[in-house]
Amino acid sequence: MTELDAEIESELRVIDDALERGTATAPGGPERELEELVTALAADPPRPDPVFASVLGERVRAGFPRRRGTGRLPGPGWPKLRRPPKVVLAGAASIVAAVAVVISLQSSESQPEMSGLSDGAADISALPEESASAPRAAQGSAIAPASPVSPDGGFVPGAEDRRIERSASLTLAAPDDRLEDVANDIIAVTDRYDGFVLRSSVSTGQEGASTGDFELRIPASRLQPALRDLSKLGDVRARTQAGEDITREFVSAGDRLRAARAERRGLLTRLESAATDTEAESIRRRLDLVAAEINGLRGQLRDLRLRSDYATVAVTLERSDDEEGSSDDGSGGDGLGGAFDDAASSLSDSVELLVRVLGVAIAPALLAGLVLLGARTVRRRRREAALG
Amino acid sequence: MRSGCMDAAIAERMPPLAGDTPKAETFEALYERTFPKVYAYVASLLRDRSAAEDVTAQAFERAYRKRRSYRPARGTAEGWIFGIARNAALDELRRRKRRAGLHADPEDVAAPAVEDHAERSLRRQVVRSALAELAGPERDMVALKFMGGLSNAEIARVLGMGESNVGTRLHRTITKLREACDDRA
Repeated sequence: MTELDAEIESELRVIDDALERGTATAPGGPERELEELVTALAADPPRPDPVFASVLGERVRAGFPRRRGTGRLPGPGWPKLRRPPKVVLAGAASIVAAVAVVISLQSSESQPEMSGLSDGAADISALPEESASAPRAAQGSAIAPASPVSPDGGFVPGAEDRRIERSASLTLAAPDDRLEDVANDIIAVTDRYDGFVLRSSVSTGQEGASTGDFELRIPASRLQPALRDLSKLGDVRARTQAGEDITREFVSAGDRLRAARAERRGLLTRLESAATDTEAESIRRRLDLVAAEINGLRGQLRDLRLRSDYATVAVTLERSDDEEGSSDDGSGGDGLGGAFDDAASSLSDSVELLVRVLGVAIAPALLAGLVLLGARTVRRRRREAALG
Repeated sequence: MRSGCMDAAIAERMPPLAGDTPKAETFEALYERTFPKVYAYVASLLRDRSAAEDVTAQAFERAYRKRRSYRPARGTAEGWIFGIARNAALDELRRRKRRAGLHADPEDVAAPAVEDHAERSLRRQVVRSALAELAGPERDMVALKFMGGLSNAEIARVLGMGESNVGTRLHRTITKLREACDDRA
């Protein structure tokens, strides 16, 4: 113990003894002075008014009954409303936030790859034609430099005589017992929109159709309504659309075809006026080459026109998840076993949700705890600051 | 000053207090024991008799409503109720934006006349003026110690600091008071 500590201990002991006795007893010196100071400090403290003491005593004995009207004591700073504890508020807020996050996460997981397409009919129709180019642009596809493309890679709205090659893919899910019907409906929808089926493949298991793949050609002008109808045939698991501007290729092929035709007309004129057999033979050979070029360009133009007039639609047909589960593990059937399976599944889902909620809630709960701690510290400091 | 058994008994009997007469007497006993000291402490801080009455009543009602939150392991019942009273008094000070202080003790209607005890009154006057020179936290500590009659351990619990720290600060404060009194003597 240091000298200062010993001095403090001694002084504190003198203070406590003097307080207990209520009088100064030391014969003299600093200790006597200290005792006198202590007794002076403790002497004649502020005393409560007897009436106030009596009224408060009555209230204490009555268990602080609520006053009619206000329900609380009038007093400085008395809260007007009784609020629930902040810990309860913070906990409730954390749980609500966690549940909201989990629900949003689950809903986003259950949605197809392109957001807002759970109901394909309404959402697909809401998409503008030009928006189909966005996925392709995002994939870094090359668009002809001469094409009037917008800065973000999309097509320029309102541009005339555009030649756009469109493609779309759609993944549909349907119950196992409806797969064949859906496959037939896909073909029916294609026919209804004057399209045609380029390729189709339906794999059939022991219990019927299992999966199917279709490659369709749908008139580009009717792509959106066709996709809308196709989306109605099952649950949309995924959908993508893409578009590529082939205007430059189309224009280039047309120009070259016109040039070839002009050349042929010129060659025919020269052939009529050829003076020698050798010259005529040479012109004929050139005419053959130009004719072949014309045929090639015609085919190229026909192909480009086909690509822009008809959109390619790839449809993949799958079984629904719940159907897969029911056929794989045999659960979900009727009877007691099925009921037990359903109960176990529900319990599993509940536990999964609980774990997700807890996982999400921990961080907000910690944050709320820190905030509460900080608020408590700030409040304490503000109170202390009132002492000046 | 108080027996630990008494505090433990209060703690045990405080939670189911409501509406039960024998148990209500337990809180009443605590009130009877602490009321004058709590009032003196609050009045010393607020320097306003009316506000001191309001805050004292508010503190006891708060204590009564929150009696189930009292844990004997965290301190004596007196320390607990002084903590509530101190918070209420500081809230009042902050609300009124009034500087805390013991510039002058509240007028005490029960105090003896100056003529009767001239020497003691003079001594008190010197002490009061010396107290007025202390900083707010020092006056708070003096009030807890000498008006509230709390032990150093209880003061430490109320102020949220260590007991040895309280002892050191109390020593410094008393030293300043003695010097101030000597200057005025």
